[in-house]
Amino acid sequence: MIALINWLETRTGVKALMHEAFNERVPGGARWRYVWGSTLVFTFVLQMITGFMLWSAYSPSTRTAWESVYHIQHEMFLGNIIRGLHHYAAQGMVVLMAIHLIQVIIDGAYKAPREVNFWLGIVLMMIVLGLSLTGYLLPWDQKGYYATQVTTNIMSATPVVGREVQVLAQGGSDYGHLTLTRFFAMHAGILPTLLVGFLVLHIYVFRRHGLTVHDPKRAPDTTFWPDQVLKDSVACLAVLAVVLLLAMFRAPELSAPADPAVKFDAARPEWYFLFLFRFLKFHAVESLGVTFGAIIVPGIIMGIIAAMPITAKVLGNLGHTLNRAFTWALALGVVVLTLMAFYEDANNVEHQAALTEAHRDGQRAIELSTGPDKIPVEGAVTLLREDPFTHGPRLFAQHCSSCHRFNGHDGRGSLVTEAGKTDEAPSVIAAPTAADLGGFGNRQWMTAIVMDYSNHFAWMKNSTWFRDAQAKHAAGGTVDYINPDSSEMADWTSGNLDALKSADNADNVKALVEFLAAETGHAGTTYDAALVEKGRDLAIKGSWAGALNGTSCASCHDTIGQDFPTQPDDSTASSYPTLAKYASLAWLKDFIRHPDAARHYGAKNQMVVYSSQKLSDENLDLLVRWMTNDYTASTVHDYQDQLEVLKASLASNASGVAAPKGNK
Amino acid sequence: MTSTSPEIPAAGSVDLPISVETPRRSLLVQLITGMLSFLIIAVPSTLSGLFFLDPILRKRKAVSDDTADGEVPRKDEAGFIRLDVTKEAVPQDGTPLSVTVNDDLVDAWNMFRDVPVGSIWLRKVGDGPILAFNSICPHLGCSVDYIREENEFYCPCHASAFALDGKKMNDIPPRDLDVLEVSMRTHGQQDANGHEIWVKFQNFQRATSDKIVI
Repeated sequence: MIALINWLETRTGVKALMHEAFNERVPGGARWRYVWGSTLVFTFVLQMITGFMLWSAYSPSTRTAWESVYHIQHEMFLGNIIRGLHHYAAQGMVVLMAIHLIQVIIDGAYKAPREVNFWLGIVLMMIVLGLSLTGYLLPWDQKGYYATQVTTNIMSATPVVGREVQVLAQGGSDYGHLTLTRFFAMHAGILPTLLVGFLVLHIYVFRRHGLTVHDPKRAPDTTFWPDQVLKDSVACLAVLAVVLLLAMFRAPELSAPADPAVKFDAARPEWYFLFLFRFLKFHAVESLGVTFGAIIVPGIIMGIIAAMPITAKVLGNLGHTLNRAFTWALALGVVVLTLMAFYEDANNVEHQAALTEAHRDGQRAIELSTGPDKIPVEGAVTLLREDPFTHGPRLFAQHCSSCHRFNGHDGRGSLVTEAGKTDEAPSVIAAPTAADLGGFGNRQWMTAIVMDYSNHFAWMKNSTWFRDAQAKHAAGGTVDYINPDSSEMADWTSGNLDALKSADNADNVKALVEFLAAETGHAGTTYDAALVEKGRDLAIKGSWAGALNGTSCASCHDTIGQDFPTQPDDSTASSYPTLAKYASLAWLKDFIRHPDAARHYGAKNQMVVYSSQKLSDENLDLLVRWMTNDYTASTVHDYQDQLEVLKASLASNASGVAAPKGNK
Repeated sequence: MTSTSPEIPAAGSVDLPISVETPRRSLLVQLITGMLSFLIIAVPSTLSGLFFLDPILRKRKAVSDDTADGEVPRKDEAGFIRLDVTKEAVPQDGTPLSVTVNDDLVDAWNMFRDVPVGSIWLRKVGDGPILAFNSICPHLGCSVDYIREENEFYCPCHASAFALDGKKMNDIPPRDLDVLEVSMRTHGQQDANGHEIWVKFQNFQRATSDKIVI
């Protein structure tokens, strides 16, 4: 062994090199405060190791980037750990870099003769921030896509060359395959190479001047090996432990595949850029423009930092004091702005709702990709585009939620608000003016229609058309309108309530409800076939017990029990709404297109007619399939039921709002 | 702040004998330091190494079938795939016929339905059974051609030659052409007189004398 080392030594000088590297003097003894530079080098090595691994499985294109990252994280052996390490170590590197920089300034280690090394350090910092920024886009998920859009748009605000810089970064006028290939080349090739080069210079110059020691007499001098290396490696081990634990127990999020057509309201930069994000939101900053807030101000700050060695040289101790004060003020500002951003987001209902939707979409994309059919060649983005579970709620919120609610919310989990009475008044929770369509067509819904009709449709009474009609009626006019409190259906329910609730009819009601629910054909529920048949008899023949006997649904709704026609028309329409496969996919599609047809509500209709101009066939299909459970079943955590919250806020905020009583 | 003043010489410019001033380090400290330094690199390296071994370490999931209800699946559970050609298409005179085999192909995160996954040679002599060969050369994986003039299979890469019954004709290939199992069927059911040709399409390890399924 010794012979081999000697052989190598005479040819390479390796021993001298190791001696040089490890026996560096540490005046005043090894100290914990010297570990930060080493932890940074270690984190960079960790990023190289995990980065090369991710590279071996990553595929940069708009149709494969998200897919390959999904594959790494959810399919490959230890893929979640490798991605997690890379994800968290990247953030760790930014934190360690901030600590390192602050320490260098506070300790005066930037002053002569170490000015050049300080500037090298600032270049390294820029490279690391560039790595963070380019890496954030690579998974090509909604989060990275929209956050990076903001960054490249900020670039375009650079005076004179902005647009060119942006086009160069993106590889074209818009985001696409080339954006990813270019960002990837920057992230995995150009920037790391630059980083290695500058790091070598940084360490070389550092070794030339040695540590910045305040108190050389604190303890006897020692050498880098093993005393300082021990402390350094303990610190590195701590860094490793933290990122490894985070990777194991808090897997990095992969949000839904990037889709320029789907808004992403939860867009935020990585948390360490939040201070800048928050700074740009100040009204005063906003009014001065993006160029000022995002380019000029950060530019000035970087300029001041870079000029610190000169400041200290020119102004002496005063300069150093000013530099330190500036650093502390800056750090304080960053911390305060970051906390403000977190606090405001946590208390921002809309942002929280957007986050919930982002998590729901992301988990759904992963759920669909994990399916037996894997991911189509067109990319995982098409899985979501064609998914009713993802787009149904959005379409409901867009088209239906101004009148209807879905379990009390707008389909996307948020309460619907309207402007306050005056310009200054805060917005208030809006009262629904049509039925709540959560659970549309299920057993509960059908039970409510049979037993509790007036109450079930009570929301309608908040509408203007209802109030107008009532006022007109009160004034002695004749109006033909849908009145939940007074109609043939309401009268049948309320008039026969005792009979319906009688013990003799308990099984009959159950059977009728089973039949009506089964007629919807909604997926995800199994029905009792015998009960359904019994219910069919009741609906068509009216074989009830007691006073109800002989009253059948079919005596008014004559198409009940029949199939909903493929080419529906009004040739056989009675004056009652058709219940042929009521609430089924076919019925609902026809109803949304033609609520005013004689087969539905005819002249009494108050619902907006959704022609294909208003709601395309594709979107109608997505909406209706969502409402009828016609999609790949999901275990993703869905929006919370807000009905009771809605009722409570309406009861406390406004008077005279009609709402169904009791629980659903 | 004296330490940061320009008067402090660059390290190395003064050649102090460090060993004199350095307290003696116990072997234990050196050992612990060495182990810790090793650990911080070994842990991520080991995890990375295991990640890189994913193609060997990970169990593949079963692939779903998208056959419509009532249709005979294109592939059965034993792995036999129905070819697009029927018995009639194979020349009676023993001339080999090249046929593309289609199957569902899983490629990492993608699934391609019913795409070409390989090609085979089919051959029949008179009313005898149909023979199927994988057209991949068992030497180093090029595609074997049929040379009409020589009436043999020939690989253009390294000149492997095979007789029409698949037997190797020179010492270049390590083994004969790979014969694939064939099953004649009617509506997917075994039937010696059936017209459907079902082949158990497999690829085999190249460059070995043994026929090992990949």
